[in-house]
Amino acid sequence: TVTAQEDGMPLPGVSVVVSGTSQGTATDFDGNYTLENLSRDATLVFSYVGYKTQEIKYTGQTTLDVVLAADAGQLEEVVITGYSRERKVDVTGAITVVELGPTEGASLSSGSAVQGLQGQVPGLFIEKNGDPTGTSNNILIRGATTLGNNNPLFVIDGVPTVRQEVFAGINPSTIESVQVLKDASASSLYGARAGNGVIIITTKNSAKAAGGEKFRVTINSNISMLSEKQQRYDMLNAQQRGEVLWQASVNDGADPNAGYGEIYNFDWNGDFNNPVLNGVTIQPYVGGDTNVPVGDTNWQDEMYKTGYVYNNEISVSGGTDNSFHLLNIGHLKNTGILKYTGYERINGKLNSNFHLFDNKLRIGVNTQFSTSDETLASQDVGSARIPSLSITLAPTIPVYDSDGNFAGPIGAGYSDRNNPLLMQYINRWDNTDRTTIFGNIYAELDILDNLTFRTSLGLDHSNYQRKDIEPRVFNGFITRANNRLIIDSNKFSSLVFSNTLNYQLELNDKHKIGVLLGIESIKDDFSSVYAQADGFSIETEDYFVLKEATGARTTTGRSTGSRLLSQFGKINYAFEDRYLASFTLRRDGSSRFGADNRYGIFPAGTLGWRISNEEFWPENDVLNTLKLRAGYGEVGNQTIGDIARFGLFESRYGSNQNQFVPDFFNIYYNVGTAYDLNGVNTGNLPSGFVSIQAANSELKWETTKEFNFGVDFNMFNNNVTGSFDYFTRETSDILTTPPIASVIGEGQQRVLNGATTQTRGWELSLAYSKTFDNGLKFAVATNFGAFKDEITALPEEVVSSYPGTVDNSIIGHSQFSIFGYKTAGLFQSDQDVQDSPTQVGARPGGLKFQDLDGNGSIGAEDRDFLGTTLPDLEYGIRINLEYKNFDLSLFGSGVAGRIGQDPYIFWNNYASGRENSGLGVLDAWTPNNTGSDIPSLSLAFNDQRISDYLYRKNSYFKLRNLQFGYSFSEDLISNWAGMTGLRVYFQGENLFWFTPKDYIGADPERTNVDNIPVPTIMSLGLNINF
Amino acid sequence: CSDDFLEYQPEGYLSVEDAATAENAEALVVAAYAGIANDEMIGPLTSMWVYGSVRSDDAYKGGGGRSDVDIIDRYEQYNLTIADDPSDWMGPRTWTNYYKAISRANFALEVINDIPDENYADKTLRQAELRFLRAHSHFMLKLLFKKIPYITEGLTQEETLEISNDVDNDALWNTIADDFLFAYNNLPQSQEQVGRADRNAAAAYLAKLRLYQAYEQNETHQVTNINLDRLQEVIDYADEVTGDLEADYGNNFLNGYDNGAESIWAAQFSINDGTTVSRVSFVMGLNSPHGTGLYGCCGFHLASQNMVNAFKTDASGLPLIDTFNDSNIFNTVDSNGEAPLAAGITLDPRIDHTVGIPGRPFKYRNTVSESGDMIYNFSWARDPGVYGYFGNMKEQQAPDCSCYVKEGPFIGTSKNIDFIRYADVLLFKAEALIQRNEVDAGITIINRIRERAAASTQRQIDAGATNVYNMGTYPMGMSKEDAIKALMFERRLEFGMEGPRFFDLVRWGVAEQVLNAYLDVEKTRKDFLANANFTAGRDEYYPIPQREIDFTGGLYVQNPGY
Repeated sequence: TVTAQEDGMPLPGVSVVVSGTSQGTATDFDGNYTLENLSRDATLVFSYVGYKTQEIKYTGQTTLDVVLAADAGQLEEVVITGYSRERKVDVTGAITVVELGPTEGASLSSGSAVQGLQGQVPGLFIEKNGDPTGTSNNILIRGATTLGNNNPLFVIDGVPTVRQEVFAGINPSTIESVQVLKDASASSLYGARAGNGVIIITTKNSAKAAGGEKFRVTINSNISMLSEKQQRYDMLNAQQRGEVLWQASVNDGADPNAGYGEIYNFDWNGDFNNPVLNGVTIQPYVGGDTNVPVGDTNWQDEMYKTGYVYNNEISVSGGTDNSFHLLNIGHLKNTGILKYTGYERINGKLNSNFHLFDNKLRIGVNTQFSTSDETLASQDVGSARIPSLSITLAPTIPVYDSDGNFAGPIGAGYSDRNNPLLMQYINRWDNTDRTTIFGNIYAELDILDNLTFRTSLGLDHSNYQRKDIEPRVFNGFITRANNRLIIDSNKFSSLVFSNTLNYQLELNDKHKIGVLLGIESIKDDFSSVYAQADGFSIETEDYFVLKEATGARTTTGRSTGSRLLSQFGKINYAFEDRYLASFTLRRDGSSRFGADNRYGIFPAGTLGWRISNEEFWPENDVLNTLKLRAGYGEVGNQTIGDIARFGLFESRYGSNQNQFVPDFFNIYYNVGTAYDLNGVNTGNLPSGFVSIQAANSELKWETTKEFNFGVDFNMFNNNVTGSFDYFTRETSDILTTPPIASVIGEGQQRVLNGATTQTRGWELSLAYSKTFDNGLKFAVATNFGAFKDEITALPEEVVSSYPGTVDNSIIGHSQFSIFGYKTAGLFQSDQDVQDSPTQVGARPGGLKFQDLDGNGSIGAEDRDFLGTTLPDLEYGIRINLEYKNFDLSLFGSGVAGRIGQDPYIFWNNYASGRENSGLGVLDAWTPNNTGSDIPSLSLAFNDQRISDYLYRKNSYFKLRNLQFGYSFSEDLISNWAGMTGLRVYFQGENLFWFTPKDYIGADPERTNVDNIPVPTIMSLGLNINF
Repeated sequence: CSDDFLEYQPEGYLSVEDAATAENAEALVVAAYAGIANDEMIGPLTSMWVYGSVRSDDAYKGGGGRSDVDIIDRYEQYNLTIADDPSDWMGPRTWTNYYKAISRANFALEVINDIPDENYADKTLRQAELRFLRAHSHFMLKLLFKKIPYITEGLTQEETLEISNDVDNDALWNTIADDFLFAYNNLPQSQEQVGRADRNAAAAYLAKLRLYQAYEQNETHQVTNINLDRLQEVIDYADEVTGDLEADYGNNFLNGYDNGAESIWAAQFSINDGTTVSRVSFVMGLNSPHGTGLYGCCGFHLASQNMVNAFKTDASGLPLIDTFNDSNIFNTVDSNGEAPLAAGITLDPRIDHTVGIPGRPFKYRNTVSESGDMIYNFSWARDPGVYGYFGNMKEQQAPDCSCYVKEGPFIGTSKNIDFIRYADVLLFKAEALIQRNEVDAGITIINRIRERAAASTQRQIDAGATNVYNMGTYPMGMSKEDAIKALMFERRLEFGMEGPRFFDLVRWGVAEQVLNAYLDVEKTRKDFLANANFTAGRDEYYPIPQREIDFTGGLYVQNPGY
């Protein structure tokens, strides 16, 4: 009998060949095989896809049992497809099993297991930002399904969560497998919340998965060095900025000395018709203050430093057939690349289980906790984000004045911003603590040999506390005379109770039937408390405690929750290992919908045909195995507010809009219901109620229906493996909260089942691996994902909240479409302006727009769809090489066929009166420099309407990861305290990238300059096993 | 059990049914009042400094150069013709905010209309107040956008979306007037709670409305006729208004005089009232002097040189209506940061209530205890090379005022903002009288305004201002033409930088003529105005926000020129 190592299950279809002969057979359904007339000393070769080939000498025994070990270089065999395990070969949905081993380094240097998935899975798109927390700001499976939240569902050891940080906090050495369920037929069993795809994470909880019965100790250690130098924008220095301000002012017909005479002295002829600049000198002092000598500051240089990440984790695991325990503890510290930022996390994990009563009852826990503390990028007194302020602040402002105090902008010609280094410094006491407890306790009982009952109680709990200390500021124009402490805390708890019954039946060795029945309830509760107090007499970190405040105080808080109750069932059927079928049905009830629309029913079915197991399939070396898959499934989405269906009023005694829509100016926007009717100017005010949401009792589930067709194949002696999927998906009754005409009034927006979108796409993964005779192992894996989304229907009242016009609407276009003007270069002369369609603000050297409707003037009707910001194609490639003790891996991924707004363009291609500009403005259009594509400089007429000038192709290919490792030989290390494995590696991430020709910015992944850039990372790592 | 489990009721909210009860009627009225003062810096409802002052010859935008809140720069330069302007500040937000206020009044009306009379003694009274509030918001919208949909209570969302803005101009005035008339007929002359609308305010508003209505406009905003019957109504309603002028003009702009005799209708603000940042007004939060630690931000809304020149008086103490702008005053700054006045020039004292001038006391103070000098200095100007150095004063309070709160960079005060003060009512009447050829009666009123101004010098002089004031009154027997010019000029001086100026010019039909003449001269003083030009038939009103046209499926008609 041939069995698999990890679960002891028999392996059917294993090829058994007598080496050097044509004699051979394959194992049957139970893994049995028979060979006759074997000569002694014959060598039997056992090979099977996904397993290590074994060669065994025949020594005359009558039975020869073989245990095949999974090949680490191949895809893991067993997958979790929804409350149960299935063999990979039996899977009929679009599921990708991710091999995380090679990406442990990336998980460690970022502190997030999410990063290990980047570029690994066809159709899975991940981008992160540069926060020291390592958070990924975008995780999309097969593009966007719905119009709102597109985050996937994570299911960790059977407990669902939508919180990315739970997954991010799992240390790599404890992860057994990660699977991405992409299509609805695969994810449907997870019903509600599965519409955006499901990522299933299983942590090690059996001795087999942890690598045998022996106790093992695994240590992973990683030190990384982070630098954002490659991601910087080139900005003007003090002298260059003076020249640019002169040119722009003169172009505007404004005297540069009037506007900027306090910063620069412009020596020019004063003739606007024929301006000649003799020279620009920089005034010696900022704002005329002799204590503040002018600087030539490169703010990015001042704000960023080399960051370090220290990440260490240790796992102890092991057990027997009757029990297993895994203990893991990890510590991560990221010192931040932006000064005075950082992140520290401690996490732990305990998986433990016992098998009782002759293995009939299994009980256990899977738990993890993490607690973290982060201090991130801050903002200045006027709410400018420090990462963008670090780019744009004028270079003539020095960092420090001559007394060594922080300098700031003062005097005419400067922006009303603060010194970003000071701002980051005074916010160094700000921090956010997050504590997560996650896991479940479970019991499994074999009622009959093939009937198993499982019950699990899962908890996803988080505590969040943000402390924001705002000391007084007397820097620059904008000061803050009052200090303040804000404590913003919330608590989230999700209790998941699942019960399943699993029945396996085999008939006549031909029919294999699996039945699953289950019920699940999910109870989510959230509550928050926000407190703010002013007036602290001393400004030390320890003194900022709420009770010490002497000034105004505010507290507020809220509480909300939701409930889900589901029943589900699944039937798997396999006939002779050739024909596979699976049918699932789930009924979800959600408290977010009214009694009439509470339940959604989501069916799915798949069919599979392993053609290569048919008898007519010719044994051949080209196409070794072939499986066809087809599936249809429906999933629901209820990602709306917990109380979206209700018409609601509330008392807003003291509210400003910032409490509902955080935004700088909203602090000063009173939206309250209290009013000083008595005219006494102070004291408690009469107050009322105001509508905040209109009712929609008809609100119901959003539904996604998806067809998936797939093929899995092995070719060329199993050296090439691959799969291809084509899918088409329609999401209807999409939940949206469209903006409304103002006349409808305050608080009258409501959630609607509105739009329909369609997505079509394909995914391909192809891998090649070969071990050469000289011991060189070579493997290359590629993946491609392409999709196109399209809005096919929108309620009339919603259309206008999307790009487009009544006549040229978004329908038929991607929801990520950009709608704007097409440009036709720059106006070259007054004559050109006169000969062109009328355009407001037209001037020589200005942007010229295309008159699409041909009416002779440029207006709103000349806009058209310019492209989409979601890529047409995503792709990744990984190359692994192993030779003797050395290993090398390279990994790159990219996107193609998208457009985006490169933030640098606003600085590089335009002058600005208050912000610094990029180097491009030095080459702007002038009557003597007509070849430039940069408009003639202006401080007042920078036409920045949405156009193809601002939105450009921003495809890229990035070399994301390069790893070079050396494993010490076992002979050597076994002398070292019984060490069984020792590997050191060097890793480089985000090393270089390729962008289209007219892309001007630094890093195409940096689309939001309010975030810290994603750094280039160099790491040194250690993997130790005992 | 499953249905019980799935039953989740909102925590901390009222349902529509809970809110729409007779018990809550009073509270809903309070919320409707709050609605008219729920404005924001970037979508104002109360102060019209952006729309009425910067857009006129009174003031410049100010701030840190033209690109600082550049949407106001576009207003100042009359350069608003980009249909899909990506900026969502000011005009479109003000539109939205007024309709929010209107919806609060309408919801309260719906609830109150359904309460049986016998259960609610104040029913008619509150209905009258709510209709007043609704009319107020529509009136303000009409000044800005001209063509607006008039929204009443009891409409479904669908019905609301069918109301067009394309209605006859005169009919729209009458629709608004109907609400004010209901208020006028059903409110007591004054109310115990001074923040509430009363018959006095309704009369003043009707006088104001009929005055605007009297100047009949065609589709391109030209005044085609002055309706004398409407002007008679102005006089009649003005006579129904009880009120008085503050003894000192400056009281109107000082904490401690809220809801005084001159305040006919005002937005109420308060401080230390338990709300998050106090229910103070931040609508002028950008406008405090910039370069002084006393204030700190942001130097917007600065007096134009033209405006400053207008305060010159001749030997008889009368304004130089035709020649005031021929020469500049306060136009050189000495080494102390002061701008001395050339010898022989006399001033209307209202200048020192209106404009911050280098070297002259600011807000009647030359010191603030422990906080430094309150003599306005050149260094208080933020961007003098672009916008000069004249500040605004009416909008400011002393930093040690108990009404003053600084939140982040911006300053708010609990000082009320007057929509109509008694001086306005008097001048409405004077304007109607003069247009009806009752010139002496009109001039008499103007002289009353001037006499009060003449008597409003004590604070400045006490604070150390050089006494250069010379105020006189107009003689009787002037021609109608001269009297109208005097009336127009008096309104400018009396309400300098308070916001009505632009709307006055549009009402009179002289916006293009006055503003382009102003720009012709002013652009030689301030080159940021080099390309500004007022286009008649377009720039009198704002464009209907494109998104509102879109959201109503193109139902709304855009104003001409946009």
